[in-house]
Amino acid sequence: MIAFFAAHFDTLRQEFWGLLVDGFANGLIYAMIAIGYTMVYGVLRLINFAHSEIFMAGGFGGYFVIRQIVGNSTPSGFTSVYLVVVGILAGAAVGAVIALLLERVAYRPLRKRNAPKLAYLISAIGASYFMYNLAGKEFGRYNTIIPTIYNNNTVFTIFGAPVLTYYIVILIVGVIMLVSLDRVVAKTRLGRGIRAVALDAETASLMGVNIDRTIAITFLLGGALGGAAGFLFGLGTGVVYTMGFVPALKAFTAAVLGGIGNLRGAVIGGILLGVVESLSFAFVSPAFIDVVAFGILVLVLLFRPTGILGETLGRSA
Amino acid sequence: MKLRLNKTVAAVASSALLLMAVPAVGIASSATAATKPTFTIGFEGPMSGGNQALGIAASSGVILAVNNANAKGMLPFTLATTTLDDQCSGTASPAQAQSAVANATLVAVVGPECSGATKAAEPYYSAAHLATLSPSATAAALAKGTNNNFMRDVPGDDVQGAADAKFIVKTKKLTNVEVINDGSFYGAGLATVFQKTAKSLKARLSVVTIPGTAQCADGTGSPSEYASAATQIKAKNPKAVFYGGYYCDFALLLGALHSVGYKGVVMSGDGSNDPALIKSTSPHSAANGVYLSIAGGGSAYLTGTLATQYQALPGAPAAATAPYAAQAYDAANMIIAALQKVVAAHPSDTVMQLRPLLVTELHALTFHGVTGVIKFQANGDLSRSSVVDFSQVVKGKIKTIGHS
Repeated sequence: MIAFFAAHFDTLRQEFWGLLVDGFANGLIYAMIAIGYTMVYGVLRLINFAHSEIFMAGGFGGYFVIRQIVGNSTPSGFTSVYLVVVGILAGAAVGAVIALLLERVAYRPLRKRNAPKLAYLISAIGASYFMYNLAGKEFGRYNTIIPTIYNNNTVFTIFGAPVLTYYIVILIVGVIMLVSLDRVVAKTRLGRGIRAVALDAETASLMGVNIDRTIAITFLLGGALGGAAGFLFGLGTGVVYTMGFVPALKAFTAAVLGGIGNLRGAVIGGILLGVVESLSFAFVSPAFIDVVAFGILVLVLLFRPTGILGETLGRSA
Repeated sequence: MKLRLNKTVAAVASSALLLMAVPAVGIASSATAATKPTFTIGFEGPMSGGNQALGIAASSGVILAVNNANAKGMLPFTLATTTLDDQCSGTASPAQAQSAVANATLVAVVGPECSGATKAAEPYYSAAHLATLSPSATAAALAKGTNNNFMRDVPGDDVQGAADAKFIVKTKKLTNVEVINDGSFYGAGLATVFQKTAKSLKARLSVVTIPGTAQCADGTGSPSEYASAATQIKAKNPKAVFYGGYYCDFALLLGALHSVGYKGVVMSGDGSNDPALIKSTSPHSAANGVYLSIAGGGSAYLTGTLATQYQALPGAPAAATAPYAAQAYDAANMIIAALQKVVAAHPSDTVMQLRPLLVTELHALTFHGVTGVIKFQANGDLSRSSVVDFSQVVKGKIKTIGHS
């Protein structure tokens, strides 16, 4: 038994930094998706289970635009940067539009009729099934590779661990989007509106905040991040109609781990989950990554039921 | 008045003609039905999903065989085909098997194509005494001897996995090998046989199961796990990596290995031996140099006119050398040959009565197909010994390089 653990510790030591980099990059993607869950939960007390399909739609949006531009060429240098930006914007735009549509079609009618929360849940699941099956029918039920838009080489190393171009892209895009959103919510009039609705929608309405508009913008922002994350994820693995299921489930877990309703909590939860998963790969077993990740979630929630940065929540809109 | 009379005469004449025509048509139809019943040969495999290229290649082989048999006009029955899309999934295949069993014209099935799907579907086929002749379900554990409705015209993974291990350890002289499998019935089975043989050849092995991803089939793993796998492999730096699984997940692993700059030998079995592997790998060049195997030989069986006909089928792969297309073609032709004998001996039997007779006949038959002589043992495995073909991806194409 001692030899078994010694062998695994040795493996972990050797690969620690590499796995840490992998996990951090993956965690940033989780964080970008988790933001969508946590923002919608903040204003509506609703788990938007169709967020996985916003992520998927963003992946396909970026793919179609990039395919159109790139064709059979192999870009490099400044063209690569331009294409990454275009792909991210396309993914974010498609994600935002789909999220807005979702809010209009699946949630707003229920809100207007004061439907019970269970109805929202069923509506979300129904919308999710509809969208991913529609994508499967229209785009094919097989994994499609996004054309190569940069050379995924090692840019530099950290204690011998390679840091790839792909990870640099994730880091730059992830940090810019997450910090921007944090500033928007913390410092702008729009952000104050979102926070006011999250705290007490009724009072916010009496104070002149347009509830419908604020909720729509919340979906739009969360959708834009989710769509951009879909494209980033697709750059590494390709796009397929089922691509949203696992990452979105993990991101939801990250949002709960960090404290659902808390933006910075979602980021911390995402990165933590990504790193734990990656280290579990070597330390435990690839087949038990989810067991470890969810085990930690349960442990955290046992001691902090509201998550790492969980806060007392207000009333929903 | 004249006009009315003409109309009346025309109406009576038309009615009379119709009355005469209806029985005539009816008699003609019933006569055709009586002399030429329609029997359906099913094909079960992945027609959609991450591994659909395998299903499309094999189903086209079945359609080619049935089209050619019907075109000759010599059969005492008309043949039809139906596809049963199981997405290579053990979850989806039981429903497809039940659908096949309930089909009142279906006499036998070519497939299931994937081993995991076969394992899940076989209890239903077995209970209905419905013959299943698989062109590619190679998991060694499928041929158990108790389930004689299952047959396959390819050798099992006990042959392929052993040949792959000898290729890496003896031919390539690489004794430090990372063995990865996707946790599927097929992938884990192939990897286990590889491990046993490689160990007996004194190779040092590191074994890991990386569950197949939701990105590819009905797996639950996240594609990001391949980045961790590649990091670990790069750190351990084994001389070779062997992967037991299907091409969709293998392509993700290849992309990750390329990213970290792994330079060792990489090999996989027949589940990954498909041109779609290259298309699914990002960048495509990451698949270059990869070794692939296929049990029973995988190419150059459908040649000449057959190749032209195969390629002309709607939706068929561009090349008639697609994996297991020829085996599926042979499987369908063998079923047709057996059906002819059974129908000749039992002309008035129903489809349900013909099914068990067909199982018995398939076991008794020695069939000369394009892939060789096909004769089954009691457990459904081929009687003859078979070779394993090895190929390599060179400049984006799969090239055969030799055999076991």
